[in-house]
Amino acid sequence: MSRDITFGQFYPANSFVHKMDPRAKLVLVIAYIVAVFLVKSLYSYIAIAVFLIAAVLGSRVPVKSVLKSVRGILVIVILTAILNIFFFSGGERVLFSWWKIKITVEALLFALHMALRLIFLVIGTTLLTLTTTPMNLTDGMESLMSPLKLIKVPVHDLAIIMSIALRFIPILIEEVDKIMLAQKARGADFESGGLIKRAKALLPVLIPLFISAFRRADELALALDARCYNATPKRTKYKVLKLGWRDAVGVIILAILIAAIAAVNASFWGLFGFSFGV
Amino acid sequence: MSVEIKNLSYTYSVGSPFQKDALHGISVTINEGEMVGIIGSTGSGKSTLVQHINGLIKLTSGSIKVYDIDLTAKKPDLKRLRSMVGMLFQYPEYQLFEETVLKDVAFGPMNFGATKEEALAAAEEAIRLVGLDFDEVKDKSPFELSGGEKRRAAIAGVIASKPKILVLDEPTAGLDPIGKREILNLILSLKKAFVKTVIMISHNMDEIAEFCGRVLVLSEGRLIADCTPAELFEKEYSLEGTGLTLPHTVNIKRLLGQKGLSLKGDTLSAPALADAIAEALRRRV
Repeated sequence: MSRDITFGQFYPANSFVHKMDPRAKLVLVIAYIVAVFLVKSLYSYIAIAVFLIAAVLGSRVPVKSVLKSVRGILVIVILTAILNIFFFSGGERVLFSWWKIKITVEALLFALHMALRLIFLVIGTTLLTLTTTPMNLTDGMESLMSPLKLIKVPVHDLAIIMSIALRFIPILIEEVDKIMLAQKARGADFESGGLIKRAKALLPVLIPLFISAFRRADELALALDARCYNATPKRTKYKVLKLGWRDAVGVIILAILIAAIAAVNASFWGLFGFSFGV
Repeated sequence: MSVEIKNLSYTYSVGSPFQKDALHGISVTINEGEMVGIIGSTGSGKSTLVQHINGLIKLTSGSIKVYDIDLTAKKPDLKRLRSMVGMLFQYPEYQLFEETVLKDVAFGPMNFGATKEEALAAAEEAIRLVGLDFDEVKDKSPFELSGGEKRRAAIAGVIASKPKILVLDEPTAGLDPIGKREILNLILSLKKAFVKTVIMISHNMDEIAEFCGRVLVLSEGRLIADCTPAELFEKEYSLEGTGLTLPHTVNIKRLLGQKGLSLKGDTLSAPALADAIAEALRRRV
């Protein structure tokens, strides 16, 4: 039921992308986001699409699960596209005009551009969470942020807070399911009525949920205390992160991709004397 | 017949890597007036099975009929079904939410369409029935009650709508021995009041042996035994591979038998066993 909402939840598989180092994946995703924002020509999107398809295939996550993430933001994508079509100014090739509304070819292309950018961003970042366990993700972040320790940022504490938060998401979802079932059995109705009625109907779920969340937090704090847990600066790790050849392959491919996009952009600006011109 | 289940199968998360078969072709008929125990190790499908009876899980294959409500119908009357089938979940005290115990207990009847007066009257009756001091607890916050009182209040919330069938998922989990006994006695007294049929999931073989007239054993989503507790516990082999153990009474009888003291008659409940031992000793003397 509510499990479906959490798109981007870790998808267990034994694949190239799964085996990559979380740090490499994090850096690659950031670089990928930069690449997507660098794109100025539709041709570059083809390059990004090829890269994405390769990454999805290399992750062995079913395309359906990946596309689920797009479904979640479809409304936003469509809305942005529509707004862009109507509010783009400065187009010259007019396709359609009525009263003050004018739709130009440039506006359509720009809207497509923005929609593609959003979709590619979401697919790329979802692939990270689909192929990396929350544990690995926080480990990777901690490792990447460790230089901040020099300026006294409590990196380890931040990482442990994050991993506890991530760890609790499925537990709380399960709890919501359980409480909802119990209240449904007592005749609660979560599916009919208007917005306000539905919001009100959630009260019998939210109150027990909050109470149990606080109880769990208390118990966890006690358990951590009982085992003398403290975030001492020198902790060893059970699983030590290690960069491997897969990470090198990923970095090289993305570097080529960014170089290609930059080259296309440069030619778009006429540096090479010819233009793909959109 | 109050519940008729035919060829029920269910699979969780179809088409994802978390896909899991929970039930395989379960067929069972539960008659009015029965007290049925359901046992099985964790993940054997007990909860999935009982949640089907309440329409909490949508039927995907097979058929279920609860009195005159057919769950294979396109839009079964779930409200009426749920008012007829009371369902007590594990640790029911975690579902309490209202400001006062009285309001919380009245939540069910209100949802099932009772007027405010009717609901409050039903709540009062339910609170008294579960053995709580009505005048003392009615205006208290449910979170101020003790553990055992909270569970009673939660039970009151389930029975306030006067269900004919009461489904309990490990009603005694997490209680001390006295609390356990009190809850079981409460269930018996409810059965004398208006609850006609009781279906109880339990991990406690002693409870099943003593209280249930019939026991269903689930293992990996299949119904592997449907008989009386005496029949089940006499032949130990049927429990092999299910991760279940024998009740203490059966074990004691067996050990005594090995030492040469054979017991006669019903020995499943602790008092009956004690009588049987006394009887056997008297015969010896």
